[in-house]
Amino acid sequence: MKGALELLQRVSAHPDARCWCVAWSPSGTLLASCGGDCAIKIWGKEGDSWECKCVMADGHQRTVRTVAWSPCGKYLASASFDATTCIWKKTNDDFESLTVLEGHENEVKCVTWAPSGNLLATCSRDKSVWIWEVDEEDEYECVSVVNSHTQDVKHVVWHPTQELLASAGYDNKVCIYKEVDDDWECRATLEGHESTVWSLAFDPEGQRLASCSDDRTVKIWKKSTLGDGESDSSDESWKCVCTLSGFHGRTIYDVAWCRLTGALATACGDDGVRVFKEEDPTVDPEQPVFFMSAHLPKAHGQDVNCVSWNPKEAGLLATCSDNGEFAIWKYNSDS
Amino acid sequence: MASHFSGVLKLTDLDDFITPSQACVKPVKVEKKQGRSVAKIQIEDDGSYFQVDQDGQRQKLEKAKITLNDCLACSGCITSAESVLITQQSHEELYRVLRQNKQVSSSEQKVVVVSVSPQSRASLAAHYGLSSSEVARRLTSFLKNLGVHHVFDTGFSRSFSLLESQREFLERFRRKEVDKKALPMLASACPGWICYAEKTHGEFILPYISTTRSPQQMMGSLVKGYFASQKGVSPQQIYHVTVMPCYDKKLEASRPDFYLSKYETREVDCVITSGDTYQIDSYELLGHAGSGSGGYLHHIYKHAAKQLFGVEVDELTYKTIKNKDFQEVTLEKDGQVLLRFAAVYGFRNIQNLVQKLKRGKSQYHFVEVMACPSGSLNGGGQLKPSSDQTNKELLQQVEELYHGERTSVPEQDSRVAELYQSWLESVGKEIARPLLHTQYHAVEKNTNGLSIKW
Repeated sequence: MKGALELLQRVSAHPDARCWCVAWSPSGTLLASCGGDCAIKIWGKEGDSWECKCVMADGHQRTVRTVAWSPCGKYLASASFDATTCIWKKTNDDFESLTVLEGHENEVKCVTWAPSGNLLATCSRDKSVWIWEVDEEDEYECVSVVNSHTQDVKHVVWHPTQELLASAGYDNKVCIYKEVDDDWECRATLEGHESTVWSLAFDPEGQRLASCSDDRTVKIWKKSTLGDGESDSSDESWKCVCTLSGFHGRTIYDVAWCRLTGALATACGDDGVRVFKEEDPTVDPEQPVFFMSAHLPKAHGQDVNCVSWNPKEAGLLATCSDNGEFAIWKYNSDS
Repeated sequence: MASHFSGVLKLTDLDDFITPSQACVKPVKVEKKQGRSVAKIQIEDDGSYFQVDQDGQRQKLEKAKITLNDCLACSGCITSAESVLITQQSHEELYRVLRQNKQVSSSEQKVVVVSVSPQSRASLAAHYGLSSSEVARRLTSFLKNLGVHHVFDTGFSRSFSLLESQREFLERFRRKEVDKKALPMLASACPGWICYAEKTHGEFILPYISTTRSPQQMMGSLVKGYFASQKGVSPQQIYHVTVMPCYDKKLEASRPDFYLSKYETREVDCVITSGDTYQIDSYELLGHAGSGSGGYLHHIYKHAAKQLFGVEVDELTYKTIKNKDFQEVTLEKDGQVLLRFAAVYGFRNIQNLVQKLKRGKSQYHFVEVMACPSGSLNGGGQLKPSSDQTNKELLQQVEELYHGERTSVPEQDSRVAELYQSWLESVGKEIARPLLHTQYHAVEKNTNGLSIKW
């Protein structure tokens, strides 16, 4: 089953700067991009092409590293090297700054919304992960500050269905957090990568976690069940059930797990984009096998920083690069 | 290496790598010489460094030293190794002074005073399965046998701190209409909180912080001021040690504001933690009602209720707000809120408090701010639980022992009143003020791209 990636459009989104992140809105109709020019841009489809609908250039003083949509699609969060996280509210076609979350000591690397919509997580070079709560009056407050990493934390992601958080960092570790009593704690540390872990992605059911690293591998972690399932709910136990090595030429900066098809996409420092698919999962769930279904060696002219699957249209993929562009692709699993 | 400093101080760029010291508050002065020649650096067997010039000339290089005095827990620290930060303060230092006392003539001897905090006593009591007073008894005996001349209880100096805090609050409350930064008054006894406030929020937050000295530094004033004059010795002849529940108190003791330049001595020479003391002893003890972090909220609330509104409060009713480390107490009359006080412990809650303050949304009149979750009884320098005990269980035990001590009401304590009269009133308001109050200084941040690690 050989697949292929077809280029639909290439956009020079952030000229003369890196494009760090692209994120699809929950409806799949808008794409947010951000970059080294300190700006956030919102793109929508007009006819056959993607056009810029909105520019937020004054929200941050430095590079915007990550943008994330709230589950309802009405809010956008942006994490910046200026140590702040900005929350934007969408009103018609415009976005206005609602509030600015301060507190991190230095560059905020990632921001992510929980599926419930009222929790947010951020992580920073200050080695900490912050969990924020938003109330009915759109007021944001810090719930917890967790210091489980010993170095720069690169990525945070929420579990698709449970109130569980995962983070990855420069210390080669992946941490899993849960709320215990009234505070968030690290309940599991996943070790195995030999270098910086850049990104994480849960599978659609939330049973497995994919991590990608500077060590050029992707690891798949599975939550181990103790016989009849989660008897002691406090402790988390995850083990590595698969390692994809030998496929990537350089650091893998991002990994994305498609909610619709289960396909796994990676963004690599060798300028390539790859898509992996799982072989028949019923053979042995404890030892999944993935094969590389598609590989586009020169997807961009420089490092690919981010990859994101469209949540509504199967096979639609967005990627962005150090050369300031983003690209929209159509992935076909058999061609 | 886990730092023992409170969580608030840990959120910095401390690591073991030397980065260009742009952000260091007290960078080491480098003597630069003109010339284009290149020199080599040779390391001798004993670890000393020699610079060898092109023409073979050798020159011993000075070792860069950062003492606790220089370091205000800023984020540009050369190295986070604890040995650098606390070289001057450990129980070894105390032993060294005691040893020296035995070897020198009586005129050169130091008068050694040890002030023990109630929190440390409670920690030791829990560890050894004794009562707090038994601990105090044994500790005094032990210390005196070592050569310590006087053992005090910082519960006593805390009475002064509480009294002065009460007065300061009333004074601020009365000028709140003209001074927008009078309220909320934020407690100042926790040095972890002070260091964080000075470094991160600077000029914005400092006017809100109570200038009343903490029990440790109030004791410093008392010992090197009143006590010294009573004993007919000069302040530098006294070696004052305090036993505290956390390492942050070491930083507090080394603040320049607590250095008596006239006598070239610090008010508190050495701070050792509960964990640093291995045996115990005692003396006359003073407990106070309220939290295990000094009871500031409790005392100021009761005093203010009485003095400002004529309300006698017996028991305070605490309401948990977001979590157990964020509690509120309100005084209401005829549906109107007269006083709104809060106890805010731990970094995450301090964050929210400061952000609310910045946005002008804080409703509080007073906040007891402490850097450690669960307060001072849970300080980083307290004794750790035994293998069959959880942190939670130990903390509960320590709290029980702490509150088991007989409490006193500072306003009714005759000894405190006497001392206040004879010492502070005799010297007059001008001189008394610096003995009871202190100042804060914003730390300037220097963000420089050179120190960024990707």
